[in-house]
Amino acid sequence: MLPPQLSTFLLLALPSAVRAVFQDEVGHIDYHYELLGVPQPETTFFHRPRREERASLLYTLSDIGVLGAVNPTSGAVVWRHLLNGTLTNGGGFLRAGEGENWVTGALGKSVHAWDGVNGRNKFWVDFDGEVKDLEIMEMTENNRKDVLALFDEHGSTVLRRLSGDDGAEVWKYTEASKDIPLQVSTNVEKVFVISLRGSSGSYNLKVTVIDTLTGKELDQWVLGAKGEVRSEKDVMFVGANSAAPIVAWTDDSLQKLRISVLGTRNRQEFALPEDTLAVEIHAPHLVQSLPHFLVHIKTAAGNFAQVYHTDLKTNAISKAYDLPNLEESSAFSTSSDNANVYFSRITDGELVLVSSVSSAIVGQWPLKDGKLNQAALHAVSDVVKKSGSGQNFAIRAAVVTDKDNWVLVRNGELAWTRPEGMSGGVAAAFAEIPENEDLAKTLEQEAHENPLEAYIHRVNRHIHDLQYLPAYLSSIPSRLMDSILGTETSTKDGKPARDSFGFHKLAILATRRGMLYGLDIGNHGRILWADRVFHIAGGDKWNVTGIQINESGGETTVVGSNKDSVTFKTLTGEIVESKAPEIQVSTQSTALVSTEQGQILLPIGSNGEVLDVPSSWTPGQTVVTQGSEGGLKGITFVDDGSKLSQVVSWTFALPEGQKVASIATRPVHDPVASIGRVLGDRSVRYKYLNPNTLVLAAIDESKSTLTVYLLDTVSGQILTSSTYEGVDAGKPIEVAMSENWFVVSFFGQNTLRSSPDQSIKGYQIAITDLYESDVANDRGPLEDAENFSSLEPLDVPSAGGTSALPAVISQTYVLSSPIKALQVSQTRQGISSRQVLAYLPEMHGIVGIPRMFLEPRRPVGRDPTPAEVEEGLMKYHPVIEIDPKSIVTHERDVLGVEKIITSPAVVESTSLVFAFGVDVFGTRVAPSFLFDILGKGFNKLSLVGTVMACFAGVVALGPMVRRKQIDARWKAPM
Amino acid sequence: MSQLATSPKTAPRWVENLKNPPAYKAKGPSLPDPPGFPSSQTPSSKKKDSKVAQRKAPTTEEMDTLKVKKAWEVALGPVKGLPMTGIMMYMSGNSLQIFSIMMVFMAFKNPIMGILATNQAFERFETDTNKGQILQVKLAYVVMQLLALGLGIWKVNAMGLLPTTRSDWLAWEAQREPLEHAISGL
Repeated sequence: MLPPQLSTFLLLALPSAVRAVFQDEVGHIDYHYELLGVPQPETTFFHRPRREERASLLYTLSDIGVLGAVNPTSGAVVWRHLLNGTLTNGGGFLRAGEGENWVTGALGKSVHAWDGVNGRNKFWVDFDGEVKDLEIMEMTENNRKDVLALFDEHGSTVLRRLSGDDGAEVWKYTEASKDIPLQVSTNVEKVFVISLRGSSGSYNLKVTVIDTLTGKELDQWVLGAKGEVRSEKDVMFVGANSAAPIVAWTDDSLQKLRISVLGTRNRQEFALPEDTLAVEIHAPHLVQSLPHFLVHIKTAAGNFAQVYHTDLKTNAISKAYDLPNLEESSAFSTSSDNANVYFSRITDGELVLVSSVSSAIVGQWPLKDGKLNQAALHAVSDVVKKSGSGQNFAIRAAVVTDKDNWVLVRNGELAWTRPEGMSGGVAAAFAEIPENEDLAKTLEQEAHENPLEAYIHRVNRHIHDLQYLPAYLSSIPSRLMDSILGTETSTKDGKPARDSFGFHKLAILATRRGMLYGLDIGNHGRILWADRVFHIAGGDKWNVTGIQINESGGETTVVGSNKDSVTFKTLTGEIVESKAPEIQVSTQSTALVSTEQGQILLPIGSNGEVLDVPSSWTPGQTVVTQGSEGGLKGITFVDDGSKLSQVVSWTFALPEGQKVASIATRPVHDPVASIGRVLGDRSVRYKYLNPNTLVLAAIDESKSTLTVYLLDTVSGQILTSSTYEGVDAGKPIEVAMSENWFVVSFFGQNTLRSSPDQSIKGYQIAITDLYESDVANDRGPLEDAENFSSLEPLDVPSAGGTSALPAVISQTYVLSSPIKALQVSQTRQGISSRQVLAYLPEMHGIVGIPRMFLEPRRPVGRDPTPAEVEEGLMKYHPVIEIDPKSIVTHERDVLGVEKIITSPAVVESTSLVFAFGVDVFGTRVAPSFLFDILGKGFNKLSLVGTVMACFAGVVALGPMVRRKQIDARWKAPM
Repeated sequence: MSQLATSPKTAPRWVENLKNPPAYKAKGPSLPDPPGFPSSQTPSSKKKDSKVAQRKAPTTEEMDTLKVKKAWEVALGPVKGLPMTGIMMYMSGNSLQIFSIMMVFMAFKNPIMGILATNQAFERFETDTNKGQILQVKLAYVVMQLLALGLGIWKVNAMGLLPTTRSDWLAWEAQREPLEHAISGL
């Protein structure tokens, strides 16, 4: 037998060996959507990254700031980068030089270039101003393609020519006027900068011509009449690198389209139909392409297109032909093959290709699988003219649809669909798969009847249920086989069904673009349904303040910040009721309250007051809200006979200079298995378990201090507070809370108080345990009281006239990597130990740090005593290395996680995890290992085989033994 | 068959000998009887019997003293094994394993069974005259059994199976419930 210490050491060493995700669990317990975000029309294109090969990749800079390349054949991500580290809201530029192996992008203040094949960075330059446009100079004096970047630097227009090799500045053109820089364009000889001159609401276009070699201004003129342009949006197109670049703009009421060839001072006007809703211009981007372009006009009655030709000699623009009006929405895209320019039109059921020269259709592909069933918004296409005789074309078009999917149609065949809309998630929740509602109702009915009637009813129900017995019996062999062979049946008649382990749930995901997704997380995260709930304008974001799941009714309600709400069936996504968002933001958050009609979400206004109190709610609770000035307040309700009025029962104002960085409360589902911690000597330290607490981290930027407050949410009293020095306010600060402890993570640099010549710098995580008393076997001043009140002071001298304060033990660790999106795992009964889950933004993974490692009672500066070892305490070590085995995403590259949610399963050992942000990832974690279910490694086949072999042995040997015994009887005893 | 029926009248000689064996004739001292032959044992047993028969029957008092003495031996029996048991228990360690569990089980079972069977244990020593003395012996016997039981309890305690610490009662302690509730609306 092992001595107790050794066995404990083994126990401690064991987790590190078996914590990792097993290889056979990959793809079984976890699922991952590698996403880019919805591609933007201007920053998406096909490009050939290797000049010598014909294979091209699909590049995009998405609306959330992810730059990436997708293999157009398989739809798999080749490489991708989250450019700013966080999700951005639209904007950015992406260009590729013809025949170059790199692409260049710009977002915010930086211009960068990337290797087209492997996504390695070529250069990254940060500037002072904001990038307004980016263009590639196709022809330069030194046979190199350079980058032109237009900046708005504090009101002045700056154009820089950057070397395509290393991003070094070749020349810089500055114009210190108040004009708004808009776009840059170039033909072979000159560079044109288009800017808006005038005052707000009434601009006209100014064209500045700049020398390509020196960056000196050559000429400058104003196009059109004054006040012709209302805003930047009216200038729709500034033609790219064609031989005759154009600039096109409309007036505010979309009556006339004005086009001018850059380099000329005259403009041409074209009348638009009266009911025009939107105009788009599609033009080829190659120098050698024919100077043709297409104007796509959307009216209330449908949409059609006009193709225009530019005469290179006279610079005159003339309409060549029309493409017919279609009622259903369609998307146009341009593709060029040497000088030839092709326009493709994608509708719901068909792909049509025309040449820019004539209106004759050169290719037509009806969609083989019927219809897309979603409207195409914009598309990019790649047309290849097949060698040989005849007009044989091959086309592939990547289409962004109104369901936020990115679909590739290859010669009329649906090659792949990427659910890019799932990126940019703002809120998510787990929902149980709705059970048969009838059963729930019957059970409820039985509960209300008198026992005898209920019994008779139940017996009748069970007799009635017997009709399902044959079906059940016949399903047993197949279920047995599934169980032995490890195949899964997660669906019942095609519908998702609950399982006995509780792994089959739904995840409801709401995204910033107004889409809702229902994922079957028991079935590899398959998308059950996707609904476009609201059309959120670009640059805006659907701000979801609360998701409430009505388990018994099978419905879910999502409440947004602009008085919008939507109720839908959890299983099918079918919208029951929806209320569109208003312009004004009115709701800052919601509180989930229980009423007689079930739980409802209580909207809370922007200055922290409860907006409308439902009549069915009898408020007995304090609602904690955040006031407009940043502090917190507690609101109670007073019933003055006729109506309820709100009374602020307490306010918590932060000291001068501090502002809220992060707030956490205990999770709604936070069961406590044991109310105390048993120490090595079998004494007990009682946990301070107050459900009415919240932890608030406040940062003081001027002093660089982080103060963490633990507040009682009933009385507003500060239960404990601690201050950390040298904290960087620019780095993420997050708190998480569970049971009787909370963690706060921050980036800090501070000298040690014990030895001032030593300092600590790095990402730190501080954990605080709360106990009822400093000594063991003591329940604090409240002693054996069954209840406690936060409002009534204690009648004990030691409490000093306040309520019982927790005894605090705290410890700080330095982490080897920054973390964000802190969350604590949840299990059904809280018996399993907990894990702190966090996203590692630099390692693109989610780590599960066991609570045991973060233990604040780890002995500092000495080895643990045998009693402490028995308790599982290790010697304190200031650095917690992120163990690759504890990364629950293992080798997956999970990008841009913003939030992690957890939910308990039916089995105690397991907690379900769902992470969203850019990517969507879900898995199951077992912080105390899978002690209650058999792993995949358990060989059921050999178990069954052994049992069968034993049975066969008994059957075979039985007669032999019997015969032998009978023979023995007949033999005379010697 | 008729021949057979008449034969018993003239039984062969060996049958006669078997039925009435000839008297034992002592042979010379040079030929010892084979071991197990009845003649070799009979003389010694006869001697013993004669010895016992020669001894004077003890009086009632003597018998009582003897019985009480015997009873004391029985009463002190359990405590004699205790040091050995104690050492074994100490050696077996405090972890839960089959050996120590069996040992603890026996350490409890034996004293309890012993106490329950006190009367049976002293039945044969009890006479009408020594009842008072036997009662003392019984008491001593019970005390000894309790001593053995104490050893078992010591072992159980050492194994941590006795609910003597606060942590053993933790599961029955209730979480303190708050009187007020708050909802987070953050």
